[in-house]
Amino acid sequence: MSNGQDFEEKERERKVRRTVFYRIFAGLVLMVGGFLIWKLSGLILPIIVGALLAFVFRPVKDRFRIRWLPHELQVLCSFAAIGLALFFAFNTLRKHIPDEEQKLEFKVRLQYKLNERYRQLVAKLPERKSNAVTPLIEKEVGPLMDRVNQALALDPKERDLFLKYAAGYNGKPPGQSKFVDYFWANQRTGKYVIPEKTPMSPAPAVAPVGVAPTPAPPASEGASLENKLSAWMLAPLIFIFLGFDNGQIRRFFISLVPNRYFELSLTVLDELDDAIGRYLRGTLLECFLVGLALTLGLILLGIPLGIAVAIGVVSGLLNAIPFLGTVIALVIGVGYALIAENVTPLIPGLNPNDLALYVLILVVIVHVLDDVVFQPFVLGSAANVHPLVVVIAIISGSLIMGLWGMLFAIPTVVVVKTAVATFFKELKDYRII
Amino acid sequence: MSTRKFAADKLLWETLGRWKRSSPELDRIQFLKTVPFFDRLSNRQLKRVSDIMFERTYEADETIFEEGQPGAALFLILDGKVAIEIYRETSTTRLAVLETGAFFGEMALLDDTARSANARALERTRALALYRNDLNEFVHRHPKTACQIYHSLAGMIGDRLRLTNELVQMKTPADMA
Repeated sequence: MSNGQDFEEKERERKVRRTVFYRIFAGLVLMVGGFLIWKLSGLILPIIVGALLAFVFRPVKDRFRIRWLPHELQVLCSFAAIGLALFFAFNTLRKHIPDEEQKLEFKVRLQYKLNERYRQLVAKLPERKSNAVTPLIEKEVGPLMDRVNQALALDPKERDLFLKYAAGYNGKPPGQSKFVDYFWANQRTGKYVIPEKTPMSPAPAVAPVGVAPTPAPPASEGASLENKLSAWMLAPLIFIFLGFDNGQIRRFFISLVPNRYFELSLTVLDELDDAIGRYLRGTLLECFLVGLALTLGLILLGIPLGIAVAIGVVSGLLNAIPFLGTVIALVIGVGYALIAENVTPLIPGLNPNDLALYVLILVVIVHVLDDVVFQPFVLGSAANVHPLVVVIAIISGSLIMGLWGMLFAIPTVVVVKTAVATFFKELKDYRII
Repeated sequence: MSTRKFAADKLLWETLGRWKRSSPELDRIQFLKTVPFFDRLSNRQLKRVSDIMFERTYEADETIFEEGQPGAALFLILDGKVAIEIYRETSTTRLAVLETGAFFGEMALLDDTARSANARALERTRALALYRNDLNEFVHRHPKTACQIYHSLAGMIGDRLRLTNELVQMKTPADMA
């Protein structure tokens, strides 16, 4: 055999060895990766959130340039500014997230106010007795109110706790006597519709004898919360360390790409980065604008600044979930408007008793503003996804990861759609397919 | 300090110094200095350019890019040989054979128009690639360095245009005859 043939034979064998090695290595990586994802599933969300934040705020980091300052210090300074802004926003929000006492108080107030409004609506005044509308309202809204009362009513344990808080409990001062009055008024509230007795009515459910409820041990709850908190500590760390990256991660991945796909992978990565970055930053800006518009509107309606900011932040964030975000904003806003007291709207001529109606109108105006101005202006056609896909994605997201899944559903769809479209376009341009 | 310890320390620092002087990064900067494309840049600027370059190794006969593909990067040959060729149905025209220090695919730094020829490694070749969008980003981050690179690029394209004009002028009378 000549030297040339020998060399070619060796090269062929080397090629086969290389292919086998790459395949075994890829299989191993997939297996280990899958095992790690399965075992460390609790860390995935904090890592995604940290990475997304670093990605979204990268332009801020890039713009923040001081010649004489080392790169690491520049990154730290820019991230400190971003961190402070985020901390301020979440701290404001956290202050207004109700604790156990406030939750009970909120339920009592809401139940009382709803009943009060219902009674005002169907007040049996002598001149309205002949009115045909009143019985109709009673017939239609009465059962609904009964169901609302049933949902908002405190169970015996909650009742005890509420009365304890009202008298001063757990180092907290006694609650307002007004709310205790509301509580007793709620207790006196009977059913608006008396159900007719039917001979076939089912027997009341009897609790199985000897089966005691098994509440989860508080210690394990505490441990789970601690685990969650320690997992979430990863998010800011990922955010900061990805911020320090000066293209090394990209270079590493590009170095793994075969020569044939080198330019293609650079182009695809760049286009994806551009398209996804534009979409995510656009969505963030859109959420911010919606939150700002709602906050300003609520302030104009006389709602205290802190609460208006909290409702604005929550509604702005949830605006990333199409359809549902607006509904949640409506529920939070109208819910607060129903229990709000001593509210003086800054706009003259508004009746404080109709606050819920004004909030409803405000949410509708902000929604229209979002559809007509913010989305086209900020996002353009970046999020051109069919409504049916949107609905399916949101439901699937909620089934897989709950609220977080709903929040990430549309960005994921947009990312996958953009990635596939870009990848196929470039593969064709580079004459690979 | 004993003489022996002093000698040991001296040896250590000398070794470290040699190691630092011969790091791949410094080698790359030394190499970039010899490329006419970057001859206007200082060491500091060359370090920045070097940081955004990708090093690739091509086996003999491996294609670097093909005619008709969108261009995305300029290539500099660190070592090895590259043939620039045009393939036609019946023949292959070799336009040039480039060696260490030469560069090709420079038009890709301007836009993504299709490559006008094929580039193929004739032997095992190491090359540095400068990606267009990285250079575009450089305009915002280090405008002076980017300007100098674009200036070199413009000068080089001007030279080639002049050369082409001269060739056309030389060829035209003969064609007319």
